[in-house]
Amino acid sequence: MKKLVIISTLSLSITAIAILSGCTAQREVAAQKSGAELWAQNCIRCHNIPSPTAYNNDEWETIGLHMRERANMTNEQIGKIVEFLQAAN
Amino acid sequence: MKRFLIISIGILLLGGNSFAQDSKPGRTQFMVRGYGHAGLDYLKTPDGTSLSYVGAAFSPIFIFKQGSRFLFEAELEFQLDQNQLDIGLEYANLMFVINKYLMVRGGKFLLPFGTFMERLHPAWVNRLSSKPLGFGHDGIAPSSGIGIELRGSAPIGGTTINYSVYSTNGPRLKDGSEEPDEAGMLNFENYIDNNINKAIGGRIGYLPLYNSSMELGVSFYTAKVGDKGSVYENVRSTLWAFDFSYVKQISPIKGVLDLKAQYNQTQVSDAYYLELEEDRDTIASYTFDNFSRAYYAQLSYRPSMSGNNFLKNIEFVSRYSKLNTPEGSEWESNADELSFGLNYWISWRQVLKLNYSFINSEGGHDATEGAGKQQSNTLFVQWAIGF
Ligand code: HEC
Repeated sequence: MKKLVIISTLSLSITAIAILSGCTAQREVAAQKSGAELWAQNCIRCHNIPSPTAYNNDEWETIGLHMRERANMTNEQIGKIVEFLQAAN
Repeated sequence: MKRFLIISIGILLLGGNSFAQDSKPGRTQFMVRGYGHAGLDYLKTPDGTSLSYVGAAFSPIFIFKQGSRFLFEAELEFQLDQNQLDIGLEYANLMFVINKYLMVRGGKFLLPFGTFMERLHPAWVNRLSSKPLGFGHDGIAPSSGIGIELRGSAPIGGTTINYSVYSTNGPRLKDGSEEPDEAGMLNFENYIDNNINKAIGGRIGYLPLYNSSMELGVSFYTAKVGDKGSVYENVRSTLWAFDFSYVKQISPIKGVLDLKAQYNQTQVSDAYYLELEEDRDTIASYTFDNFSRAYYAQLSYRPSMSGNNFLKNIEFVSRYSKLNTPEGSEWESNADELSFGLNYWISWRQVLKLNYSFINSEGGHDATEGAGKQQSNTLFVQWAIGF
C-alpha cells in the first residue's frame, strides 16, 4: 500500500511538472507544426524513432496507415509525417 | 502441414521482395514485418537453479494496404513448446478509414485495454525481456479479442484526444469443472462465445501537452462471462485500466526520459464454486470476493544526446510491478517484481538487453501448498530484433 502511495505521488508530481513546463513552452497548435516536428514528437512515444531512410516511399504509406491505426493518431498528424518521411528519405 | 506453411511463407516473403523492387507506386501494398528474439535465462528459485538458452521465437506480421483506406494486418506467433512447433494467431483484422476522425476494425485485434499489450509488448519495443506481473499467462488483463471496434482521434486546440469503443465475445469464466484450482478465473480467449451476451469495452486517451509527450488513458471492459444456461449465466466481469506515458528528450539531462505505468483491476460478480473436500467424498461450495488487481511503473533513460557513440545507445531501465489475486480463491496470490535493465541499442529496432528481476510471490495455483513466501531471481540476456 505504501509503495502504491509513493508511486502515485511520484507520477502525479511528474505529471504536474510536465504540464506546467508544457504550458510555458511554446504554444504551437498542431495545425502549425511541421511534419518533421510531429515525427520527432510522436514517433518516439512507444519505440525508438525510425529514420526517414529506413523505408521507401511506398513503405512509408503503408506504415503511416498502420501507425495511424496502432497509435490512434490523427489523420492530419500522419499525413504530415508521411510527407516529411517521403521527402527526407 | 508444417512444410506447407513454410513453403507458403517463403512464397509470401519472395512476393513481398519483388514488390518492394517495383519503383512505380501501386494502389496495393504488401509488407512482411515482425520480430524475433533469442536469449539466455538464469533462474534461481527455492527449488533450485536453471540456466537455459531460450528464444526461437518468430512473430511475422503481414500488412496489406489497399487504396488509402483499407488495411489488413495479421501476426502469427511461432514458438517451440516442448520441442513442438506451437503456432498462434496474435491478431488478424481488417481496418477501414471511415473519415478523418473514425476507423473501423473487425476480426481479431489487440485490445486497447491500457497500453501495454496493444503498444508495448513486442520484444523490440518492450524495454525489458519480461512482461509486468498481471499480463500474459494467468494474467488479469486481456490482450486481444474477436469482434468489432470503432477508433479514432481528434485534435482539441493543441492537444489530442483518442478514443476507441469495441464489442467482442468477451472473457469466459472458468467455473472449476475442468480445473478446480482455477475456479473464478477469466479466460480471455473466447473463440466461440459461451453465451449470447457480448462484451463492451473502450478506451479514452488524452495527450494534454502541445508536444504530445504525455498521454493519460482510461479503459473499461465489461461482459457476462458464464456459460449460457449454467448457474453462472449472470456472472459479470468488469475491468478497468488506467495508463500513463511520458516520453521526452530533455536537453539538461542529455537524453530521453521514458515513464510508463498501467493499473488494472478485475471484478467478477459473486458466484459459488464447488470443491472436493479433503476426505474426497464430500463436495462443498465456497465463494470469495473475486477482485484482482495489478499495476506496473517503468522508468527508462537513454543518454541519446551524449557525444559518445557508445553511451548514446545505452539505456537504463527499472520497473516495479505487483499482482494480487482474490483472497479465498484457490488461485490466491500476492506477488511483486522489481527489475533492472541495461540495454544496448544496435539500431532503432535491434537491442541487446541484460535484465535482472527479483520476484517475491506467495500462493498461486501452481505453487506447492503451504510454501509461503518465495523469492526467485532471474537474469535474462535477450537479443531482440524487429524487421
Ligand atoms: C502508440 C504507440 C506507437 C506510436 C506512437 C508509434 N508506433 Fe510505430 N509501432 C508500434 C508498435 C506496437 C509496432 C509493432 C507493430 C506490431 O507489433 O503490430 C510498431 C511498428 C512500427 C514499424 C514497423 C513496421 C510496422 O508497420 O509494423 C515502423 C516503421 C513504425 N512503427 C514507425 C512509426 C512511425 C513513423 C511513427 C510515428 C508516426 C510511429 N511508429 C509511432 C507502436 C507505435
